[in-house]
Amino acid sequence: MRKLLLILSLFVTLYGQAKEYTVKEIPMVHLQDRTRYVSNPDGILSTYAVATMDSILYALEEKTGIQTLVVAVTGIEGGDCFDFAYQLGEKMGVGEKGRDNGLVVLLSTDERCIQFATGYGLEGVLPDAICKRIQNRYMVQHLGKDDWDTGMVEGIRAINGYLDGSMENIDNEEADNTPLFIIMGVIFGSFVLFVIIVIFFANQCPKCKKRQALQRISSHVISRKHGVITSEVTYICKHCGHHVTKKEQTGDPNYRGPRGGSTIFMGGGGFGRGGGGFGGGSFGGGHFGGGGAGSRF
Amino acid sequence: MKKSTIIIIALIAIVAIWGVSAYNGLVKMDESVSTAWSNVENQYQRRADLIPNLVNTVKGYAAHEKETFQAVTEARSKATQMSINADELTPEKMLEYQKAQGEVGAALSRLLAITEAYPDLKANENFKELQAQLEGTENRISVERNKFNEVARSYNTAIRTFPKTIIAGMCGFDKRPYFEAEEGADKAPKVEF
Repeated sequence: MRKLLLILSLFVTLYGQAKEYTVKEIPMVHLQDRTRYVSNPDGILSTYAVATMDSILYALEEKTGIQTLVVAVTGIEGGDCFDFAYQLGEKMGVGEKGRDNGLVVLLSTDERCIQFATGYGLEGVLPDAICKRIQNRYMVQHLGKDDWDTGMVEGIRAINGYLDGSMENIDNEEADNTPLFIIMGVIFGSFVLFVIIVIFFANQCPKCKKRQALQRISSHVISRKHGVITSEVTYICKHCGHHVTKKEQTGDPNYRGPRGGSTIFMGGGGFGRGGGGFGGGSFGGGHFGGGGAGSRF
Repeated sequence: MKKSTIIIIALIAIVAIWGVSAYNGLVKMDESVSTAWSNVENQYQRRADLIPNLVNTVKGYAAHEKETFQAVTEARSKATQMSINADELTPEKMLEYQKAQGEVGAALSRLLAITEAYPDLKANENFKELQAQLEGTENRISVERNKFNEVARSYNTAIRTFPKTIIAGMCGFDKRPYFEAEEGADKAPKVEF
């Protein structure tokens, strides 16, 4: 009991004061949910502001492949905003490997600083001077008045304005390099082949080996299970009069599934980068070379 | 053939294979040191390229601060003349290079210090952005210097640990110098009356 109290009090003291984060302690929300980019562990930003920025940055990544990490904290260890933002980018590997198109935006309210860190690949489209201009025009005035929401959202909007359309989202999936018509051609070709085989062999009489000989004379349902009807069908050969019975399975058009929907099409999520709709995302492993700019307010 | 000769041949083959792979590994590390070095030089060059623009902007507002401009320009031209090939990196040359670049840095910080006295200049958008670029370049320089030190350290460790040190000694792999902390950065500034 005493131990428990001790641990509890430890937690209270830990969370009671403004925390100075180290790079490793910053929670990476993007890794749990690939549609989220804003890490707001101290609740500095409102949920509305966070959601706005998340949706802008998600659209940006979908269009350009540029990955952004926004961090808003009360304090950072060491107090060096540039170094912290740079370390965040480099250690987490924000941005795609090879293209190095990551961007880190750090707000620390104790240090009163806003810092951008651009990956190597973004230094051309978002030069330091532009970073500084965005901070001066859209962010510093609001942040100076402790209006974190407005400052950050305006800043992210401005960043999006510069980056949108600056590069294409090239998915590293190899399938994307194969032209669509080849895939379609292969699918269509195998379908045609399948139909030909079915027509050729399915109607063959097992006794006299004549093709196109079987005629359906009767069928009755054996079972209806999980939307599949199994029925026994009897055929007669037009040439030798031989009787054949086969079990056939067809989908039940009246079946609605156990929970009112088709289970096959639910769950599993989508495919493509980072998994399903709300699955965890990942950072690609981009590198940073010290680009970006910072301002104090 | 005797069993012992087979064993000896096998041993020689193993040693030869190890030697080749160790040598190739060292060559790769040596290359990465060279790359890191040229990245450092690039960033210093970038800073040097910013200087004329910066000086001209400041001149527009503070034309009479001639001495400061001259100091910056001189330090810049001295530093840009010096370019060291990564293969010829010796501790002496490294010190010389660092000294020249350090002078540029010192002259630049004097230049930025005098701008404090000109509010119009400080409010100039162009100047603000130049300053941001300069800051960014200084950040890049420190990042690249750290990266160079890291790469050089792992290379130096590799060529000095047994048994790779044998290969390194035979093939002439030399130790690389590090960037030391900026001169004067660790000392408190002296105030004279």
